[in-house]
Amino acid sequence: MINKLLLPDMAAKNARMEPLEFFDEVCEKYGQAEAAGGGCVDRYYCIAGLAVRLRFAGEALLPYITPALAHLATGPVGEPALTVCLWDSDSTNIVMQPPPWQADDYREGGEIRGFVDERIHTIVQIGVNALSVLDRERNLGIYWVKTAKQIPYYESGAPLRAIFHLWMSQRGIQLIHAGAVGLPSGGVLLVGKGGSGKSTTALACLNSELFYASDDYCLLAHHPTPTVFSIYSTGKKNADDVGRLPFMVSHISNPDRLGTEKAVYLLSESFPDKLLPSFPIRAILIPRISGGRETALKPASPAAGLAALAPSTIFQLPGDRKKGFQTMGQLVRQVPCYQLNLGTDTGQIPEVILDLLYTNQNSCRSKGH
Amino acid sequence: MASERFTINSPKVVHEIIDGEVVIVHLVKGHYYSLVKTGAEIWSGIERGISRKQILEEMVSRYDGEPAEIEKAVNNMIEQLQEEELIVVAQTDESDSTTAAAGAIEANANPEKLSFEPPKLDKYTDMEDLLLLDPIHEVDETGWPNVKPAAV
Repeated sequence: MINKLLLPDMAAKNARMEPLEFFDEVCEKYGQAEAAGGGCVDRYYCIAGLAVRLRFAGEALLPYITPALAHLATGPVGEPALTVCLWDSDSTNIVMQPPPWQADDYREGGEIRGFVDERIHTIVQIGVNALSVLDRERNLGIYWVKTAKQIPYYESGAPLRAIFHLWMSQRGIQLIHAGAVGLPSGGVLLVGKGGSGKSTTALACLNSELFYASDDYCLLAHHPTPTVFSIYSTGKKNADDVGRLPFMVSHISNPDRLGTEKAVYLLSESFPDKLLPSFPIRAILIPRISGGRETALKPASPAAGLAALAPSTIFQLPGDRKKGFQTMGQLVRQVPCYQLNLGTDTGQIPEVILDLLYTNQNSCRSKGH
Repeated sequence: MASERFTINSPKVVHEIIDGEVVIVHLVKGHYYSLVKTGAEIWSGIERGISRKQILEEMVSRYDGEPAEIEKAVNNMIEQLQEEELIVVAQTDESDSTTAAAGAIEANANPEKLSFEPPKLDKYTDMEDLLLLDPIHEVDETGWPNVKPAAV
């Protein structure tokens, strides 16, 4: 272990490296990794209606990346809209070149100063220790980690967020920090910072006629009406709180690691028929743990909805935060917001949401929509 | 000082005015804020580029209260917004009262003046941790960060 990021001679060598040059060098490394691993392993997904290919150099990363996306898996596609190449150094024995930047080049959201321009976006997720690079022109992303074993559970629960967010936002699709549950005819977003009750609400709905799209991250599009797209089919819950949803206890995928991790549910395995890839957004709910027994809705202002949704989204993600904020501002102007006071009787949660959706549906029918 | 104008501290600060409420985000500090009622109206005046004096005149015409009290409250709010680096003093001194009036938050629907309530800036700092840059001390032999994951 050394205490500096880059030796001075290396820094001088790379002082003038352009973002595209860096991308191409990393791309070449991926090629070496793929060859070393005996070829690539392809997986295809349909995310927000767009074909995405994940191209793995070997199989080491598959169990860390693919389970969360399993509900969106498709067959091979000739010309995917986005390709992401994934590799790790440990299993392929291909060492990544040293980073051509300095310690003070790490910026908010993991962006690397000097390695972000209109075409290339370079991000290092500290903690995950993953490099994500996107070439917008070629619709090509690269994801690298030194070793698969270092990927934490929360990254496996919502993998490739940075690349998906940056690429989708070009297409008017915003990755948001929100849960989403509903019916094919329409559903609700669950917004608020961590610990507000998004996961409890979303997971509680698996025990009802409601469908699940997200408990943490999903995609928002405005065409033609506000629509949510599922991206990850995982669910997470604080380990000390799993007893609130007894029907979920047997579905915890990491029961042996609850001392250090949240409980993780792989819903494409345990509730495959309860996952919905998209639905129109009818309302925004701001969950709040009330402490009482009953669950109830109370109208909230659009500004309250925006304050619950936007900061926790934009501060977690790289890229154009102003544009993201405006996109979410547009959403709260279009659908009503409510505070969802969560009671201890979790069975009431889906009932209250269903009541709202049926009322909304009837109201739309009577208006001839 | 009365003719002083301010602008939103863009691009560091973004905001949305919706139904007479304002949500403001300082993208660099990681803080966010909300303003309602008189606070939202003062913000709207700043956004429209009207002067401190014009903001005050609008408030006095809309609200029932001692002008001196209203003036003090408006000045306090402007000072607070400056301290939080949400607004900065405008460099130009031009006025366009027609354009400026066009975007005002509608508060005159009721011909009777409302009682003046001092504006309040609600500040939230619960997101700033997401923006704190941890110094990168631990790197591996190739120079890549080797920081242990934090629980999320």
